[in-house]
Amino acid sequence: MSILELENVTKAFDGVLAVDKLSLGFDEAKITALIGPNGAGKTTIFNLICGLIRPDSGAISYRTKNITGLAPWHVAQQGIGRLFQDVRLFERLTVNDNILAAFKNQTGENAFLSVVVPWKVVREERSFLERALQLLEFVGLADKANDLAENLSYGQQKLLSIARLLALDADVLLIDEPTAGVNPTMVASLLEFIRRLAKEGKTIVVIEHNMNVVVEIADWVCFMNQGQVESFGLPNEVLGDPEVRAAYIGL
Amino acid sequence: MNYLLHILTMINIYVILVLSLNLLVGYVGLLSLSHAAFYGIGAYISTLLIMKLGLGFLPALLLAVVGTVLLSYTISLPSLRLRGDYFVLASLGFQIIVFTILYNWIDLTRGPYGIPGIPRPIFFGIEINSIGSYFLFSGVIAAICTGLLYLIGNSPFGRVLKAIREDEIAAAALGKNIVRLKINAFAIAAGFAAAPGALFAGYLRYIDPTSFTVMESVFILSIIIIGGAGNISGPIVGTVLMIFLPEVLRFIGLPDAVAANMRQIIYGLLIILIMRYRPQGLSGEYRFE
Amino acid sequence: MLLQLLANGIISGCSYAIVALGFAFIYNTTRTFHFAHGGVYTLSVYLFYTLYNLWALPLIVAIVITVAVTAFVGILIDKIIYIPLVKRGSSLFIQMLSSLGLYIVLINFVAMIYGNETKVLSPGIQPTYSFGSLILTQIQLATAIAFVVLFIGVIVVLKKTRLGKTIRAMRDDPQLVSVLGINPRRVRRVVFALGSALAACAAVLSGLDIGTDPNVGMAAILNGAVAVIIGGVGIFEGAALGAFLLGILQSLAIWQASARWQEMITFLILILFLLFRPQGILGVRHRIEEVSV
Ligand SMILES: Nc1ncnc2c1ncn2[C@@H]1O[C@H](COP(=O)(O)OP(=O)(O)OP(=O)(O)O)[C@@H](O)[C@H]1O
Ligand SMILES: [Mg+2]
Repeated sequence: MSILELENVTKAFDGVLAVDKLSLGFDEAKITALIGPNGAGKTTIFNLICGLIRPDSGAISYRTKNITGLAPWHVAQQGIGRLFQDVRLFERLTVNDNILAAFKNQTGENAFLSVVVPWKVVREERSFLERALQLLEFVGLADKANDLAENLSYGQQKLLSIARLLALDADVLLIDEPTAGVNPTMVASLLEFIRRLAKEGKTIVVIEHNMNVVVEIADWVCFMNQGQVESFGLPNEVLGDPEVRAAYIGL
Repeated sequence: MNYLLHILTMINIYVILVLSLNLLVGYVGLLSLSHAAFYGIGAYISTLLIMKLGLGFLPALLLAVVGTVLLSYTISLPSLRLRGDYFVLASLGFQIIVFTILYNWIDLTRGPYGIPGIPRPIFFGIEINSIGSYFLFSGVIAAICTGLLYLIGNSPFGRVLKAIREDEIAAAALGKNIVRLKINAFAIAAGFAAAPGALFAGYLRYIDPTSFTVMESVFILSIIIIGGAGNISGPIVGTVLMIFLPEVLRFIGLPDAVAANMRQIIYGLLIILIMRYRPQGLSGEYRFE
Repeated sequence: MLLQLLANGIISGCSYAIVALGFAFIYNTTRTFHFAHGGVYTLSVYLFYTLYNLWALPLIVAIVITVAVTAFVGILIDKIIYIPLVKRGSSLFIQMLSSLGLYIVLINFVAMIYGNETKVLSPGIQPTYSFGSLILTQIQLATAIAFVVLFIGVIVVLKKTRLGKTIRAMRDDPQLVSVLGINPRRVRRVVFALGSALAACAAVLSGLDIGTDPNVGMAAILNGAVAVIIGGVGIFEGAALGAFLLGILQSLAIWQASARWQEMITFLILILFLLFRPQGILGVRHRIEEVSV
């Protein structure tokens, strides 16, 4: 059952089609891998879903609700979370604050309430801190909790951005190249975790260049080229397709 | 002694102004050139309420805060959803519009003639009539405002503002309504700027529009740049330094005609040098990059 | 009466347009919000005052020297203030603040030397020309002619020369320029020189027309920047169009209300545009589009 659907979506940048009349659905509680050569339009699809850019035409719907053109914050609040290819941490905030900022429904985000009922905010904050620590432990950054995010290594930043995404607790996770720059042992536990999230009912879309990873975790694979879906199916089918091999994997 | 108390009172007034602007500059990362306008609106609303309606100082101050917050939306709603440099220009425009109104709406503000004879604040029958007591009085209000701004800055609200400063897009992708948060931060900053306006009017017992010019806005901003932004200590260090600086210059004995320009030149040079060599200011947390 | 006001508005529009074109040169290519443009404006009109009124040099000589020196000052500002910041990878925010700092320094430097009072640059009554019921002074006519010449010059430079193509390419994509092997430093130098020279032209004309004081630069940069934004950022014709709109509306406002409200009109127009047409008259709408890295 598709929970998130793109229908005939087109987006051009200065006349160059980045996404070309593309229709694609993502199944609930499944892991779909988006693969394709550089510039195929994969990240653009994420940007379109998130509302960071508006499609020139076509519609995007989530749980049958039309979300085309919604503002990014609004899309996120519907339950669609995003991991950026280029990390995008809050660099001059501490590791801890990066996570804390991501939690939903914070009373203290209302300035008025944070002054009027500070005790309530403090109590909430304590439970957020606990959850933040758990997430940091999971990605192995607990000892860095009070460092500034900009001082982490690239791999650590990537992990932190994953932990931050998890703090959002979205139902759909759009993950752009999670394993790039992460060390192999961490990759293994990361994949394990992604699988677990899917079992818990999260819908996961992952852009990934490492085919071993794709084979290992994906339920569905979507091969894109020049803004269009060239082939969609089970991992073995798609990766076995000679055309895909020629266009991409064979390099 | 009175001279020192006068300077300390001015520091009390400016600390609130600078800390409230810090919420925009240091937390949200917004350059606003309209703070003197809100300062002036606060001064005029409270003064008019006291003199025309006979309100007490505190109710007038509170209503001035409310009025200033409401007026802040006229500028934040159209301009905060746009790019940063548009906002700077729009805030400058608002500053100029407010000055023009204060200067030209003679029936209400007496324009360039100013409003003299503003009564001293009275509490429980005690008139704040000496410079020492005004210093204490302004100190209490400054302390309350500093405390509130500290709470706000360190609340999850302050944290999400900093997140916006660091990366708007990432913050939006986490479900934060960027525009609304910015508009709220702007309203809070404006409201807090109204309080020193009322204090200033009650202290000098005379106001005219020339205290609330573009250059005053630039001055308030330069205090933050020089002291540093994003925490409480930077703005306070900046305020103390920049309020004392002209007194030091006076001490050196520059002729009055030159001193005013010289002072401005020093502010300008300090801004350039700080941006070049020490973007976090003297004691700030936030490094402009 | 209405016709005269319209004409006056168009003439102020010409003057704003020259400043706006200069500002647009710099803003469109470097993205730096060059506040100090206002300072340069003030500096140049006082330089002209010194050469023409104090040293009694011939008008043409004074104008040529003023424009040349101002162009050089523009290059110097870029070299001393902006380039080190750009090299460090500073944000536009820092560049804008530094520019504001420089503006303060320049204005107060001028005020310290020449005083704050208004200086009259062309003594006596200017010769006037009448066209039917319309009366224009010599300087007003000169302003209009200067605008036409400079505007055509700017457009020719932009559309027909290699330099112009580079400038437009840099506006669209700063990285592209270095890829193409063009030295962005050189482009910057040209842009700052031309932009500042244009400011000097406008400053001299308006100085001769209505005199000057150290704060003229503020009004100039505000009108210029607002004209660029309401005309459409990135489009040079838009800057001129915005300037005319501003000049005409201000002039009509003076007719309806009073000159004291003029600055307010400027910003009410800006705010209306920001609300209803943030991309400006000729601009195309861009959503904050993510640049994928
Ligand atoms: N904001 C933008 N402005 C202009 N062009 C863009 C923009 N974003 C993407 N593009 C262009 O759209 C095309 C698709 O880019 P996209 O980032 O979606 O590719 P991708 O499949 O994610 O590639 P990669 O594997 O390298 O991440 C590219 O040609 C790119 O240059
Ligand atoms: Mg990509």
